[in-house]
Amino acid sequence: MALDLRALGHKTWRTIASIQTGVVLLILVVILAAAGTVVLQRPATDPDEMQNAYSPQVLRFLDALGLTDVFHAWWFIGLLVLVSVTIIAASIDRFPNSWRYFSRPYKYPDESFRRSVRPQKSLAIADEETGLVAAERALHEMGFKPERVVRQNNFGIFAERHRISELAVYIVHASLLLIFFGTVVDGLWGWRGYLSLNEGQTSNLIDIHDGSTRTLPFSIRCDGAGQENYQDGSPKKWWSKLAVVQDGRDVQKKEIVVNDPLLYSGVRFYQASYGSNGKVDKFSLIATPSNGSGEKQEIGLTVNDSVPLDADTTVRFAEFFPDYAVRDGQVYKKSNYLENPAAHLVVTSKKAGKDFDVWFPPIEDVADNSKAPYQFQATDLKLGHYTGLQVSHEPGQWAVWSGVVLIGIGLACVFYVVHMRFWAVPVCDPKTGKCSLWIGGTANRNRDVFEQRFSDLVASVQKELKLVPRTSASEQIATFAGD
Amino acid sequence: MARAKVEQQQPATGMTLIVLVGLAIAFLLFMAFLNVVKSGNLLNETNFLFATLIFYAGAGALYLGFGVTGTQSYLKFASLSTWAGLVANTAAIAHRWYESGHAPFASVYEMLLSFVWTLAVLTLVAEKKYGVKVIGTVTMPVAIVGVVLMQLLRTDVHPLVPALQSTWLHVHVTLAMLAYAACALSFALAMMFLIQDNLKTETVLAVTSASTLAVYVSIVLTRFEKWGGLNLVAWNPEVKSEVFLSKGVRLFVVVPDLGWLMTLTLLVVASPLVFYGLARWKKNDSFLTLANRAVFLSILLQVMTLVMFVLRARDGRYSSLDADGLFPTTLAASPFILSGLVGGIFISLLYLLLLWRRPDLERSLPSADNLDRITYKTICLAFPLLTLMIASGAYWANQTWGSYWSWDPKETWAAITWLVYAGYLHMRITRGWRGRRAAYFAILGFAVVMFTFFGVTYLLPGLHAYA
Repeated sequence: MALDLRALGHKTWRTIASIQTGVVLLILVVILAAAGTVVLQRPATDPDEMQNAYSPQVLRFLDALGLTDVFHAWWFIGLLVLVSVTIIAASIDRFPNSWRYFSRPYKYPDESFRRSVRPQKSLAIADEETGLVAAERALHEMGFKPERVVRQNNFGIFAERHRISELAVYIVHASLLLIFFGTVVDGLWGWRGYLSLNEGQTSNLIDIHDGSTRTLPFSIRCDGAGQENYQDGSPKKWWSKLAVVQDGRDVQKKEIVVNDPLLYSGVRFYQASYGSNGKVDKFSLIATPSNGSGEKQEIGLTVNDSVPLDADTTVRFAEFFPDYAVRDGQVYKKSNYLENPAAHLVVTSKKAGKDFDVWFPPIEDVADNSKAPYQFQATDLKLGHYTGLQVSHEPGQWAVWSGVVLIGIGLACVFYVVHMRFWAVPVCDPKTGKCSLWIGGTANRNRDVFEQRFSDLVASVQKELKLVPRTSASEQIATFAGD
Repeated sequence: MARAKVEQQQPATGMTLIVLVGLAIAFLLFMAFLNVVKSGNLLNETNFLFATLIFYAGAGALYLGFGVTGTQSYLKFASLSTWAGLVANTAAIAHRWYESGHAPFASVYEMLLSFVWTLAVLTLVAEKKYGVKVIGTVTMPVAIVGVVLMQLLRTDVHPLVPALQSTWLHVHVTLAMLAYAACALSFALAMMFLIQDNLKTETVLAVTSASTLAVYVSIVLTRFEKWGGLNLVAWNPEVKSEVFLSKGVRLFVVVPDLGWLMTLTLLVVASPLVFYGLARWKKNDSFLTLANRAVFLSILLQVMTLVMFVLRARDGRYSSLDADGLFPTTLAASPFILSGLVGGIFISLLYLLLLWRRPDLERSLPSADNLDRITYKTICLAFPLLTLMIASGAYWANQTWGSYWSWDPKETWAAITWLVYAGYLHMRITRGWRGRRAAYFAILGFAVVMFTFFGVTYLLPGLHAYA
């Protein structure tokens, strides 16, 4: 029984760690993700649009399957978790082998290895030391650091480069997991919301996308916001001057623009929208007495302001409509968008004992602009603006970005860093006494390029062999033996 | 029998085609020159683009000529023409960049400009460095279709909206273009591998006919209208944009009779596939001869359809079922139908090339092993680029919207592309997939890339609205 369990466990492990399982899971991810781009998705599409696009039965069916919100469905997240598990399992399964390969380099090739390795070449040499010195010099010339390997009865030369390449694939997989980890942290502890501020307003209440509200431990004040346009009228830049207020003090100030957010204690504020809030900041006018006696006056008003024009006449800014409509002699606010604005002034004259309604524009049947004791000329209308801020808290971000950097490095190592090894072993036939230098090499990728390098090395060794004088070689072997 | 016939032919000297192409280029340049004299403005983008088109078209013809005859001298002139086209293309990019003040990546038009440029560069690299000589036969027509599409999608220089004013955008799009061009190259190499790997000519027949058929089936299924008309998107020439009834709903006009023509062509395009099926079913090769004749007929009909389509859809006012009155349309309103039609003809021509000149083609291509290896190397180049493209896009999105990943369709499809190529690499490295299977995988990867590039932009809604 116990044995069966172990066999079962082993089998399960093999299945999880196998490349087939990984590929099947990836195919599933691809199919479901593709489905998620074809079917309209819930949070992004509003319910009306969904109902227009699908019949009620189809919509109920899609909703039941979770296909209208694929990327947040439990089964999709579960699938991604399974993918991570297979990556981890496959890495654990294969890592020990690669690690042995990495930590204990194979420096002296035994006979069976020498027979099988490709490429290889044997060169005739006069004696062992001559061959070794030539190989060392040739490898030095190629920029390697050759090392002499001494075994009990024999010795050889070993040189290698970029051993890290053997582990590069684990760097890639580990960084992928790091990215997943970051997104999971963000999914669990992160949030995204929206904050709308009028100029001068301070707030710490964020509308979270799921409909709830979050109170920040600090407040944000908008000191100004604006838009700059290109000559053709399309927007060039939106900006907001923001201040972070904590315990009644301004702790940070920044002018943010699109692409350049404000960051304070892990919360980031992005410029998302900008517009008129339908309120008047300042309405500038020139008032001229209707009877022609008296001087022009310049006045500036905000809504509900009153200003005396002379001893018995005052003007009050009564109402402002960003978008007005007239029905039955009444003016209504049609919307909050600055489409069709109208301003209503009330001029009160004690002399006439009467109020006059002055309208900009002079709306027929409603305005008595011409009867008023003063004529007004509008010079400027400054409107209040709001700035819309996207607010987000992503505590897992560091993991995501370090994963991205690591994956870049890892991929560069996987594809472009080649682990090259060269061995040179002098072999002497005890019967004939003739010696030859066996040279072999391996590369873990780009073998065609490596073969070229190998033949370059062989040529270089051959050249060195001609240069190495015999005498110095025998001297060296003496010192070597003496060590 | 056919093979013997090919070998009996005299080796062509090749002068005729070079002279013809040279004359055509000279003639077109002369026409362009007249135009320049009239307008008095030599160095503008339109002229550069026109020159690009002329030279790429010349190169395409010469590469095709090389593919057909195997004459080496064509190749030299083809490369020369590609170089000239590349110079003009570079000038067009530089001009655009100078005029707009930002790197040319902000619209489909500008991205095509960069894509075609990258494709031409990679073609020359593949030819000079790896000795894949006929690669231009595949890539140059793609470049030509790209330049033609550009003429249609040509937009005025728009200033960048705030979200696009970021260095990361340039990094992102440059990487995307490089990655996609590398994918295109791996696709072309995989196709050549299949030819060198003795993929049966009739299998190619089935695949090419099926792809052409798919083009016509999708056109007829989505656009056929009552009484044999064809639905085309209405175009407002003043604002140079489609006419929208409401947000996302385009107004269609019905062009009479084109629907019938499309249906007829569909039937003829389907016939090679039917004959192929019969040949397999009855095990009778005489049906294959019929199928090849049907391909020839289908090309004639496809060309006729294209001409009719261009004539009817280029301008003119047509009625609509959804609104009263007559509305204009133009080729720019139907870029996908147009590229589908051109692509269909091109695919069929490629098949004819293979049918007639297979031995010559095989002689001029590198060995199957080499092609397999170069395909793999191209994907080794494409994959890190794709990864960095996605990463830089995520970083940009994070800077702009406060979220690095929001599963919008373009993002999702970029991830799918990445996964497909990751699958290719895993199968190749750990399972030892080589040859055919790897080649099919590379072709699949490029199909996904094309969908991500075009399909998502036009078929699926999302944040990447600018592109």
